[in-house]
Amino acid sequence: MTDVTGKKITIGHLYPDLLNLYGDRGNIACMMQRCIWRGIEAETIEFNTGDTIDFSKLDIVLLGGGSDREQAIVCRNLLEIQEQFKSYVEDDGVVIAVCGGYQLLGKYYKTDAGTIEGLDLVDIYTEQEEGRLIDNIVLQSDLADMPVVGFENHGGRTYINDNQPFGRVLYGSGNDGRSGYEGVVYKNVIGTYLHGPLLPKNPQICDHLIGKALEKKYGEVKLEPLDDHLEKEANAYIYHRFVKG
Amino acid sequence: MRLRRMLAVWAAKITEKACVHIFHRQGVTWAGKIALKICPSILKELAGQVKKDIFIVCGTNGKTTTNNMLCAAIEAEGYRVVCNHTGSNMLNGVAAAFALSAGIGGDLRADYACIEIDEASTRRVFPHFKPDYMVLTNLFRDQLDRYGEIDITMNILKEVMQDAPKMKVIVNGDDALSAFLAMDSGNEYITYGISEQVVDDKDSHEIREGRFCKRCGAPLEYRFYHYSQLGDYACSGCGFRRPVPDYDGTDIEMGGGLAFTVEGRRLRADYKGFYNIYNILAAYAAVRTGGIDAGHFNGMLAGFNPENGRMEGFRIRDTKVVLNLAKNPAGFNQNISAVMQDTAPKDVVIVINDNAQDGTDISWLWDVDFDRFKEANTQAITVSGIRCYDMGLRLKYVDIPAMLEPDVEKAVRERIANGCGNLYVLVNYTALFSTRNVLKRLEGEK
Repeated sequence: MTDVTGKKITIGHLYPDLLNLYGDRGNIACMMQRCIWRGIEAETIEFNTGDTIDFSKLDIVLLGGGSDREQAIVCRNLLEIQEQFKSYVEDDGVVIAVCGGYQLLGKYYKTDAGTIEGLDLVDIYTEQEEGRLIDNIVLQSDLADMPVVGFENHGGRTYINDNQPFGRVLYGSGNDGRSGYEGVVYKNVIGTYLHGPLLPKNPQICDHLIGKALEKKYGEVKLEPLDDHLEKEANAYIYHRFVKG
Repeated sequence: MRLRRMLAVWAAKITEKACVHIFHRQGVTWAGKIALKICPSILKELAGQVKKDIFIVCGTNGKTTTNNMLCAAIEAEGYRVVCNHTGSNMLNGVAAAFALSAGIGGDLRADYACIEIDEASTRRVFPHFKPDYMVLTNLFRDQLDRYGEIDITMNILKEVMQDAPKMKVIVNGDDALSAFLAMDSGNEYITYGISEQVVDDKDSHEIREGRFCKRCGAPLEYRFYHYSQLGDYACSGCGFRRPVPDYDGTDIEMGGGLAFTVEGRRLRADYKGFYNIYNILAAYAAVRTGGIDAGHFNGMLAGFNPENGRMEGFRIRDTKVVLNLAKNPAGFNQNISAVMQDTAPKDVVIVINDNAQDGTDISWLWDVDFDRFKEANTQAITVSGIRCYDMGLRLKYVDIPAMLEPDVEKAVRERIANGCGNLYVLVNYTALFSTRNVLKRLEGEK
C-alpha cells in the first residue's frame, strides 16, 4: 500500500525547554520534511515541563539531550508520566531518544553529584566515569544499509544488559568505550548517543522511524524513496574520513 | 630574571616575524609558547609593569570586537595599551601580546592592557596576573564538544572571579546567565544593557539558553527579547531579575548604521548588526568604569575598522564583499539579521570547517534559523569548507537550494564571475583566516 493520502504523523517533542542541546531541532526537521516531501501530513507538538502529555495522540516521541543539571529537573517531570510513557513503549510506540534522553530511558544515571532516577522504559543503566567520550562516530546498524554517522559527547557510560544495540562501532567510543556497541533498540525505541543531529545524515534511520509509526497507525505502509544524494554524500564523507581512511 | 625575560621577548619577536614572512601564517600563538618556555614568569612580570589597569574581555560572542574597540577608545584618550588584537585568546596568545609589546630591553611601557581571554583559558591565565576589570559580554552555546556545556563554562568563570575578588565585573545585564554569574560571584559589578524594546522577537524559534532561573530553578519570564536569551527577564519564583543598567543604551537607531544614546552622549557607528550596539556599549561602559574620560569615543568609532573578518569589507573587481565570522547559533542568527539589514539583492557563501579550534562538533548548524535567508533577497547561496555537505543538507531541510563547492577560492571566484555584485561571506573560525587570505589576494588581482 503506497497511498499516503490522509495519513498523518504527530511527533511529540518532549521538554525542548530543557532538553535542547545538540541540534535536536534537526531531528525534528528531518522527520517532518521527509513526511511532507512524501505527501504525508506531519505535525510536531512541543511539551514543556509541566504540560500534560496525551501519548495516545502521538506517533513518534523525541527525547533530546540536556546538561546534567537540566536532566535532573526533567527527571522530576518525567516520573509523573512514567506509567503512560511505559505503556506507550510496550504498545510499540516509536521513540527516538538522544544523548541525555537516551540515558533517561534507563533505570538510573549515576553521576558524581548523585543518582538521577530514570524512566525505566528499557533495562539499561548509565554511570558517569572519568573523561568524556567526544568525537565523530560511525556505526554499522541492522536498521540501515548505509553506515550510521554522527557525533558523540558524553560523560556517562551506558550498559545495555542483554538488549540489542543500535549498532556496532566502526569508529568512535559508543556506549561505554569498551563493548564495541552503541545505543539500544528495544521494540520501536531507539536510544543513542549520536547527535550531529542523527537523522539528516542517516535518512534510512529517519525512514525507519516514520515507517514504524505509519505501520503502527495504518498497517503496512511502503515509503516512497526520496532523492537522497546530498544525504548520502554527507554520510559518505564522514564514513570515508574516519573509517575508510 | 631580566636577561631571561629579554631573551624570551627577542625569541617571541623573531618567531612571530618568521611565521608571518616565511610560513605566511599567524605566528602569535607560537611566539607566546616560546616566550613562556624560555621565561615561565614573563607574563606575570610584564603584566606587573602595566602602569594603570588591566581589562580582560570574556564571553561567547563579541570578545574581539569589544576588546579592540576598548583598546582603541583608551588609546584615543592618549594612553599606551597592550592588546591581543588578533583574537589569539588562550594562554599563549595572551603571553604573546605582552611579549611582542615589550621593548628589546625586555620591559613594557604601557598604561593599560586590554586582553580578551577564552573563557576556559581564564583558569590558566589568572595564575599569572589578576585583572582589575572583567568585561563579560554574554554566554551562548558554543563549541559544546570542547566545553561540554554552558554550565561548565559558568563554573570556570565563577571560580576565576572568586580567585580575583578585587576584580570589578562589567556585565551585560540583559543576559540572565552573565548577570547571575556576576551577582553570584561576590565581586563588585557594573551593568550595561538596552532597556527599550528594539525588535519584536517573541515569535522567533531561536534557541534560547537559560530559560530557568540559575538561582532557584523556576522559569524566567520575559517582557521582551532582543535576540537569543538577551532581553528583559524576571524570575517567576525568586526575586532574581534583570538589573537596571548602569549604562543604558537608549533611542536606538538602526538604519544604514547604528546610533544610540548613553550617559547623554549620542554614539554613532557605521556598521551593521544589532549585536554591535552591545559591543560598543560594553567598550563604553568599561572605559567609563575604569575612570577614563570618553571624550574621543565618537571619533574613535568613526575611525574604527573591526577588521579580522568582523564585517570586514573588500572590493573584488566590481563586487562588494563583506566577510563576517559566525561560529555559533547566536552569532550566526545575528549575522543573518545583519545581512538582512541590507535589502539589496545579494549572494551568500557560507564556509564551515570542523577543525579543533572550530569545535569538531558542527551540530550547532541545526540550531541556526537559516530559513530566514528566504526573506533576505538572496540570489544564490554557495556552501563551502570541510563540512559543506552538512551545511548543504542543513539548507535542504529548510527547502533552500545551495551550490556545493568545497574549495573556498573556487566558490568565491564563481560568485565574483557570475554573481550580482554584492557578496556576503559567512565563515566559522578556522575558515576565517584562509578565507580572508583568499579575499585579500583576489582584491589585489587585476
